Amino acid sequence: MMWAVNTATGVALLLLLAVRKNYRIYPAFTFYIFVNVVVAASLFIVYRLWGFSSTVSWRIGWATQAVTVCARAWAVIEICRRFLSRYPGIWALAQRVLVACAGLVLLYSGVAVRHQWKLALPTVDRALELAIAAAIVVLFLFARYYGLRPASTDRSLALGLCLYSCFRVLNDTISDRYLFDYAQLWSLLEMVAFFASLLLWTWALRRSQLGMAAEGKLLPLGVYQSFAPQINLRLQSLNDHLGKIWNSEVTRH
Amino acid sequence: MSLTLILFFGFVAILLMVLGWALRRPREGKNLGSDPRWIEERDQCQTNYLPQIRQALAAADYDFLSKRASRGTQRRVRHERLNVALAYLGALRGDFESLLRMARVIAVLSPEVAGAHEFERLRLTAKFAWRYRMIRWRLLTGMTPLAQLAGLSDLVSGLSVRLEQAMKELGERAAVAAELASSMNRRGMDAV
Repeated sequence: MMWAVNTATGVALLLLLAVRKNYRIYPAFTFYIFVNVVVAASLFIVYRLWGFSSTVSWRIGWATQAVTVCARAWAVIEICRRFLSRYPGIWALAQRVLVACAGLVLLYSGVAVRHQWKLALPTVDRALELAIAAAIVVLFLFARYYGLRPASTDRSLALGLCLYSCFRVLNDTISDRYLFDYAQLWSLLEMVAFFASLLLWTWALRRSQLGMAAEGKLLPLGVYQSFAPQINLRLQSLNDHLGKIWNSEVTRH
Repeated sequence: MSLTLILFFGFVAILLMVLGWALRRPREGKNLGSDPRWIEERDQCQTNYLPQIRQALAAADYDFLSKRASRGTQRRVRHERLNVALAYLGALRGDFESLLRMARVIAVLSPEVAGAHEFERLRLTAKFAWRYRMIRWRLLTGMTPLAQLAGLSDLVSGLSVRLEQAMKELGERAAVAAELASSMNRRGMDAV
């Protein structure tokens, strides 16, 4: 039932992307939704043919999952670019930070698990999902730190992707390792989480986003080069003086 | 409960908390885009009131009062001095944030930024926030004598003069301010 609802909602979202011509703005996201719909339909056929618990179904299931995660990663990169690419200096910095964060999270995921080869696929899947969620959170932090106001559509898409990835991490951690008996329940919960994300994305994309990007002029490069070091020096001075008060107080005690 | 479960649930919980914080509207949502005068205003800061602040925090003044005034008056004076000290600390923070705001806006509108400068500013911001909160807390709990704040007034005057010089070096402050304001409007930015 839930599977049918999700597929129908996915198709509706694809139609909305096509009708509003938003696929031109979000090609990667459109591809991700398309992949989801195709994967859902394929798995339905696969499960009918070989059954839910067969090895063939298991292999095909994980193969399609790999494609889906890659498509989601591409959609996230697209959202990141839309968030920050209007600010080339910040975007160049953010790219490095986001890649570093994602790499660290992958490393963390690798270190945090006990190495069991039979759980290699869920482990990789969870690591990728965690990296995606962390990258989106860092993206929001960037936007907040620099006082940027991303378009509400971009925010909603990023939020949906992040929440769903977080849920998948929890799902992989619990259902694949500890609660085999609750696999069906968790499968249902995962579908509900995806359905919620689909609704959020559908709401965000209800209007056409074409022609909404406004380009602004940038400052000459020299402005940053002359101001940034000086401002940092002033900030350092303020810190030093606060430090003097703090240190004298600590010494006194 | 296994370590793996704790590590992953903990990480996701932290991520969600940080996400919630990042999505919240900033408290001081003063929109620079709508008010380009902020760059000029920041130079005025609290240096205009330096003589009064110095006097209010002078140790000699307080010693004089402690010998001649009643206990109630002393308490009132102590309370008022604490308020002055807190306001002064707040003004310092205001200065810090103004500089920070300017730096962020310039970074956002620059075609290239240096990671070293940006991370250094992040480090300084975290350090300042920590020290500011600790000193404020110590003032409120009476653990820091007010006289220690008097040294800060020298800093403020020196800082303001040096910043003024730096701004003059650019020679196009008004033009930059207007440019910043209009660019921010076009790009949809908050100055937080």
